[in-house]
Amino acid sequence: MKIIKQFGIIFSLCWIATVIERLLPIAFPASVIAMLLLLICLMTGVLKIDHIREKSDFLLANMAFFFIPAGVNVINYLDILKANWLPLLLICVITTVITFAATAYSIRLTIWLLGRRKGADR
Amino acid sequence: MSDVFSSPFFGIALSILTFWIGAKIQKQLKSVICNPLLIAILLTSVVLLAFDIPYESYNEGGAIINMFLTPATACLAVSIYTKIQILKENCIPIVVGCTVGSLASMGSVWLLCRLFGLDEAMTASLIPKSITTPIAMEVCQSHGGIVPVTVIAVIFTGILGSILAPFLIRLFRVDNPVTAGLAIGACSHAVGTSRALELGETEGAMSGLAIGVCGIITVVVSMILL
Repeated sequence: MKIIKQFGIIFSLCWIATVIERLLPIAFPASVIAMLLLLICLMTGVLKIDHIREKSDFLLANMAFFFIPAGVNVINYLDILKANWLPLLLICVITTVITFAATAYSIRLTIWLLGRRKGADR
Repeated sequence: MSDVFSSPFFGIALSILTFWIGAKIQKQLKSVICNPLLIAILLTSVVLLAFDIPYESYNEGGAIINMFLTPATACLAVSIYTKIQILKENCIPIVVGCTVGSLASMGSVWLLCRLFGLDEAMTASLIPKSITTPIAMEVCQSHGGIVPVTVIAVIFTGILGSILAPFLIRLFRVDNPVTAGLAIGACSHAVGTSRALELGETEGAMSGLAIGVCGIITVVVSMILL
């Protein structure tokens, strides 16, 4: 019953998120709405981690499994991949390095600026 | 006879079997390249192509697995919530880093797609490639991209990030574990996070936080800009 109840809580949240997605004038994904809803419920104390622990552990630990069907769908697009594999490869490599550098340098600058302000306050 | 493959049990059983094999292989070889998800997708595709089973039959079961993506994404909230203290303590660096990182990722993908002459659908499929798979799929879909291409690009980027992480940390002389963790999470989501956890507890926690924060930022930015 415990697991069923946890499934019930999460699935209800997901359904509410789907309703909100329909009502919103903009295309905001239901899964992200559900995530924000759950975060709000946890932070306000409406839900306790214990209410959903087993279910969320199960979903988070096996997250990768749920992407298999979406990935397998690639067999319908093999020609696109074959035609574009080199640009795809290059884009993935180059942008990964750029993203890492941009994140690292912006944080370094932020920490430095925060430190300087703290120093000035003193 | 061919309609036996249309039973949802077939798709689910095949997915579980191939994922199990993938996990076994990774345990044996201990290499990030042997990503269980990648192996499962590869093996399942090979089985479908070899026995000439249409994707639609497989997807009778696949759709049921797919349904769990929304609840799984929702549960990312739990991993953010358990790290809420570190989030509060490092709020400004996290928000700034994830925003700049997400913008850099989307901007550089867009520019390179133009440069290589890729079409709109391809660009939309690649733009969310640095964020976690379920959110990336949503961003791709709502902008007319090809979801399976996104899934492959996201997994590949994750593997790439986790291989390159130690090298990038040295290259850009990152000496702060907070910075290192966030940078890994921003460019290579959950696959990178498992590597970040090996580097240290702070790196792992930060990388895990970056997954959720970058995901939300990318959704918002892509809604405004695209």
